[in-house]
Amino acid sequence: MTDPLKVLIVEDEALLAMELESLVEEAGHSVVGWATSSAEARSMVESTDADIAFVDIHLTDGPTGVDVAHYIGEKKRSMVVFMTANPKRIPDHFAGAIGVIAKPYTMNGLTSALRYLQEGVRRPPPVSTRPAGFTLSPAFEAVWAPAA
Amino acid sequence: MDWKRTREPADAWHMTDDLHVEHGKGDPFAAAIRATRMSMIITDPRRPDNPIVFANDAFLRLTGYERHEVLGKNCRFLQGPKTDKEAVGQIRTAIEDKADVSVDILNYRKDGSTFWNALYISPVSNDKGEVQFFFASQLDVSDRKRSEHRITADKDRFEKAVKERTAELEAALEAQTTLLHEVDHRVKNNLQMISSLIIMQRRTIKDEATRHSLTTMLERIEALSTVHRRLYQSKDVSRFDVSDFAKDLVTDLLTASGRSGIKPKLELDPIVISAEKATPVALMVNELVTNALKHAFKEGSDGTTAGRIGIKMSQPDGHFNIEVSDDGVGMAEANGDASFGMRLIKSLARQLHADIEWRDAGPGTKVVISMPNEPQQKGLSHD
Repeated sequence: MTDPLKVLIVEDEALLAMELESLVEEAGHSVVGWATSSAEARSMVESTDADIAFVDIHLTDGPTGVDVAHYIGEKKRSMVVFMTANPKRIPDHFAGAIGVIAKPYTMNGLTSALRYLQEGVRRPPPVSTRPAGFTLSPAFEAVWAPAA
Repeated sequence: MDWKRTREPADAWHMTDDLHVEHGKGDPFAAAIRATRMSMIITDPRRPDNPIVFANDAFLRLTGYERHEVLGKNCRFLQGPKTDKEAVGQIRTAIEDKADVSVDILNYRKDGSTFWNALYISPVSNDKGEVQFFFASQLDVSDRKRSEHRITADKDRFEKAVKERTAELEAALEAQTTLLHEVDHRVKNNLQMISSLIIMQRRTIKDEATRHSLTTMLERIEALSTVHRRLYQSKDVSRFDVSDFAKDLVTDLLTASGRSGIKPKLELDPIVISAEKATPVALMVNELVTNALKHAFKEGSDGTTAGRIGIKMSQPDGHFNIEVSDDGVGMAEANGDASFGMRLIKSLARQLHADIEWRDAGPGTKVVISMPNEPQQKGLSHD
C-alpha cells in the first residue's frame, strides 16, 4: 500500500474547495491547507509540506494560478496539478505542472485521478489507466506515458 | 487650350533664321510644325548650352512666354522648385547620350503656374550621323496626372477605411471570443458546483432510496458535465465528437460502479454531431448505460458481478446509430415504461427524431437507437 498524499487546495470557490476536500479525504488522503489567493498559496507552500497542490487558474486576485504553479516549481516542495474550467489558459509548458483536471470533473473522474496521481507521485510511473478528463503536460507525458 | 494668337514682335520671325539654313521657309513640313496644336521646339546642341533655336506658337501658348524670351535659352527655365530631379536627370542623360527620351515632368509657366508635361525628345542627325538638333514635343497632361493622383488618393483612403473596418471587426471578434470563453468558464464552474452540492447533500442522507435518487441525479448532471468539458475542447464549438464522449462516459460509470467484473466493449466510429444534439444524446446514452449497470447484472455466488456492456456507434448512410447492449438477465427484469428514466429516454428520442427499439438479445438486452444525422462534411445549419 502506497502512502496517502498530503494535498494543498488552491481554489477560490469555497463550495468547490469544500467538496474537493471531502473527496480527497474519502479517498484516504489528507488536506494540509486551502488557499484562495496567490499570496495565501505562496505562504502555505512555505508552511505546509504538501506532496501535491491542486491549483485553480482563476483565484481571488485574478488569473494567478499559473504564477502559483511557477512559484511551487521553483521551491521544489510539491508537485502541481491544475484544476480549471479554462484549460486554454494553461501555457504550453504547463509551468512545470503534472497536468490538468478539467472542470467540470465527475466525482469518479476525480477519485480515479487521485489514484493515478498517488501512484505517479509515490511510485512513478502510474500503473492505472489515465482517467477521462485528466490531461498530462507534455513533459510528464514523456515520462509517465511514453508512446509504446 | 487657349487658341488666341500669341503676341510677338514683328521681327520675331527672323529669330528663326538659323533654322532656315537647312530647312527652307517654304518647306511645307516646317509650316506644318509652326501651325500644329502640338507644342514643339528645336534646340541646337552644337551651340553652347544647347539653346532653343525654334519654338512653335503652341509652345508659346503652353508656357506663356514670348518667342524672344525663349529663343537662345536652354529649356531648363521651364523647371521649378517642385520639378522632379530624377526626371531632369533622365533628360540630361538622354541628351548626353544623344538618345530618345519620354518623360512626364512638372514644368512652370511664365506666370509661375505649373503643368504636367509629357515630354518627348529625339535627336536629329545629318547624313554623317552627327546630331544637329534635338526635337522636343510637349503635351499638357495635367488632367491625366490629376486623375492619377485622385485615384491614388482614393485607393489610399479606401485602404485606410478597409484597415480600420478590419481592425473593428477583429476587435469585435476578440470581444466575442472572450465572452464565449467567459460564459463557457461559468457554465463549467456552475456544473461543478451543482454536482458538488448534490454530493455534499448525499453524504448527509441515511435513507437508501433517497441516496439512490441523488446518485441518479448526480450521474445525469455529470453526463452533462462531461458534454460541456468535451464541447469546447475542439476548435469548432458547433460540433461534438460523440464517440470520445461515449468512451469517457462508459469508463467513468464503470469505474464509479466499482464492479471491475463488468467489462466494456466499445465499437465507436468517430462520429461528429451538431452541438445542440450533444446534450440529449449524452443524456440518453447515460440513461441506457446506468440502467444496464443497475438492472442487467446479478451478483454471482462469490459476491462479484461479471458481464459485458457494449456500446456501438456507427453511421450508415445519413443515419447515426447507437447500440447499447448487455449480456445480463434480459428485459424481463428491466424497469417498466413507467420509470422516469424510461420516460426521459423516450422524450429525448422524440426530440432527436430517433427511433428506439428494445431487443431481447438472449442473453441480455440490446437497445438500438437510430436518428438522422447530417453528412460529416456539410456545414451546420441552425434551425
